[in-house]
Amino acid sequence: MFDAIVVGSGMSGGMSAKELCERGLKVLVIERGRNMVHGESYTDGLRPWEVPNAGMVPEEDLARHYKIQKDSFITAPTQQYWVKDDENPYETPVGKPFAWIRGYHLGGRSIMWGRQSYRLSAQDFEANATDGHGSDWPIRYDDLAPWYSHVEKFIGVAGSKEGLPQLPDGEFLPAFGLNDGELMFKAGVEKAFPTRKVIPGRTANLSVAQPHHEELGRTSCQARSLCDRGCSYGAYHSSLSSSLPAAERTGNLTIITDQIVHSVIHDPKTGKVTGVRTIDQNTRAGKTFEAKVVFLNASTIGTAQILLNSKSEAMPRGLANGSDMVGRNLMDHLFALSVAGIFPGGPQDSFYHGRRPNGLYIPRFRNVTEAGDGFVRGYGYQGGVSRMGWRAGMGQPGIGAELKARARKLGPWFSYISGFGEMLPNPDNRVTLSPTKKDQWGIPVVEVNCQHGPNERAMSKQILEDGQAMMKAAGGIVISVAKEPGDPGLAIHEMGTACMGKDPKTSVLNKYNQAHEVPNLFITDGAAMASSGCQNPSLTYMALSARAAHHASEFLKAGTI
Amino acid sequence: MTALSLMDRRTLIERAAWLLGAAAVPGEALARVARGTARGARRFLTPARLTLLSAVADTIIPQTDTPGALGAHVPAKFDALLLNWASPQRKVELVGALTKINDAAMAQEKKGFAALTPDQRKALLTPYDIAALKSVPDTRGLKGMVAMMAGPAVADPGYAKLRELIILLYYYSEEALTTELVYEHSPGGWTPSVKVTPETRNTGGLGMF
Repeated sequence: MFDAIVVGSGMSGGMSAKELCERGLKVLVIERGRNMVHGESYTDGLRPWEVPNAGMVPEEDLARHYKIQKDSFITAPTQQYWVKDDENPYETPVGKPFAWIRGYHLGGRSIMWGRQSYRLSAQDFEANATDGHGSDWPIRYDDLAPWYSHVEKFIGVAGSKEGLPQLPDGEFLPAFGLNDGELMFKAGVEKAFPTRKVIPGRTANLSVAQPHHEELGRTSCQARSLCDRGCSYGAYHSSLSSSLPAAERTGNLTIITDQIVHSVIHDPKTGKVTGVRTIDQNTRAGKTFEAKVVFLNASTIGTAQILLNSKSEAMPRGLANGSDMVGRNLMDHLFALSVAGIFPGGPQDSFYHGRRPNGLYIPRFRNVTEAGDGFVRGYGYQGGVSRMGWRAGMGQPGIGAELKARARKLGPWFSYISGFGEMLPNPDNRVTLSPTKKDQWGIPVVEVNCQHGPNERAMSKQILEDGQAMMKAAGGIVISVAKEPGDPGLAIHEMGTACMGKDPKTSVLNKYNQAHEVPNLFITDGAAMASSGCQNPSLTYMALSARAAHHASEFLKAGTI
Repeated sequence: MTALSLMDRRTLIERAAWLLGAAAVPGEALARVARGTARGARRFLTPARLTLLSAVADTIIPQTDTPGALGAHVPAKFDALLLNWASPQRKVELVGALTKINDAAMAQEKKGFAALTPDQRKALLTPYDIAALKSVPDTRGLKGMVAMMAGPAVADPGYAKLRELIILLYYYSEEALTTELVYEHSPGGWTPSVKVTPETRNTGGLGMF
């Protein structure tokens, strides 16, 4: 028997495992996908001319295997990281698409993540209580602040201190500086809109590796911007480069891969869980693993699937689901609300060197310093300003020597900014299990029923209006504007299906991420989120994981779970 | 035996001509290049179509003071894309785009495109390119980020794709990335502001910028 089982090895599972191992617990990490080896499994060594098919995934493969994933970031060198949709089906109602973007392998989506790392603010933790949507968070910013610091120091976050209450500062490495085009953009926006800020993105790339990073074999970022292929330098945080190696060096970690967790085993006599049932993804053999504590970090939808599939006589609606809140309040961020522009007046004598793995960020201002027009909550923008490269004008007519001459010339400064908007927790946006369909491993497939509501639609409109206004204020000519947000799921920020809350009747988890109904069950992936904020959520998942691991180990020591 | 010793005299003359800056390659040499680049490899296009593709690629990206599409082996790479990447519909679209160019040459010059002189090819393809890339009302029904990244709808999407792939294959090649553009696989760090000089060249790679 292990002290703890951690289901899932991605962003939150890696952090849960590390924190539990460092507290002396014998930990088993169960990963449903195949093994991956840091460095060896990556494709970051391929030069452009070595990448197959000019970086494109074969069209028939996309159509056959990646009907959903193709709308995300899949390329030839990253193809290995994305699930085949035809082998991992789920259902959505007609007219309500939801893009479930996934990676099943050791390290999960921590290998492919965008690395943007922002704290939620005091306002975010109070939002549900303030406007009445969702369950009130059982913690406030001050409860999580030290854990944000703890995680930031460990993973390494490059960023600038700005003193903004809506985007609290953290323990930062030096920021990746804004280029001259971005400084021009910043000056224009902040002059026209004095309460808006344009700042360097905060990213989990080691601008300057610290000794504790180097101890794990991680080195400073080489500005290659090949992060999505995996980084052999370990210059960005992932489970493979960072948290699992830290867990491993304690001597307390066991990892098994290719084991799909079918359900969690609940003992009605004690009211506790005793372990998990798994199915080998290759042989279909069933196994059982036992532990004193179970952490579910299978990702928001995966965790809900496991809970709902863990029905028992004592818990007929699924494990820890007396409230009927498991699977509900599915959220993602409004995504792909982009505005692009060019800047004829940009600094023509300026360029930059290196491919920065990051961009700029415009923190939330709506319903902070400026009112929202018909919506609650708010949004931030991510983007960048850069010189158009050889692709500039490639779509314009012209052949021969003149085309080559055009490609050589530095292009104009170009900007895109893309809004990330908060989606409200709505119990009707939910994950359930199909009563009839099962996957190839005999597990009921997930049905996802999720759509944007009036608040999201009003917010989307203003995101695009504000984006255009800022582009123009900075001297840009708007050349492209999105018409509508991408389908829910495409931001790959799904969360909320086993939300934290004060009231067991309206939430699944308490202030320690402990199931209200099952004292030795902890959930610290995106499922735990009571609201989404508008910030990229991975940092919060990791902070919640570290905090919950601390409390779980304390409870174990005290004999209360 | 070295690769060099396998070359016949004509091949050497042709390659020397490229090194001396010949603007584009005459028809007979194109066929030779097409045969040479595909020799021994599994291929999709017939020799005649590979010659036609070589002529089109050489016209879009000729040898200048740097290698052109032929020097960067774009026809063979394009053929490999047809084999390994393109869907059946895409193959039809791209072969159709090549055929249309040849048909235009037959209609205008009574010769196949590859049989024209380099100057004739350029004279024909320049207005063809302008007409094919003319913007038209967008009826593609694209959504979200895909719509933003797709670029405007154009009069001849088949030609636009053919042209785009030729250009991509060229600028992703080692030849282009070491002569036309600059590519450092590992720049070593980020410097946010660098003064532009007459020697400054655009950077390349698979990313957008």
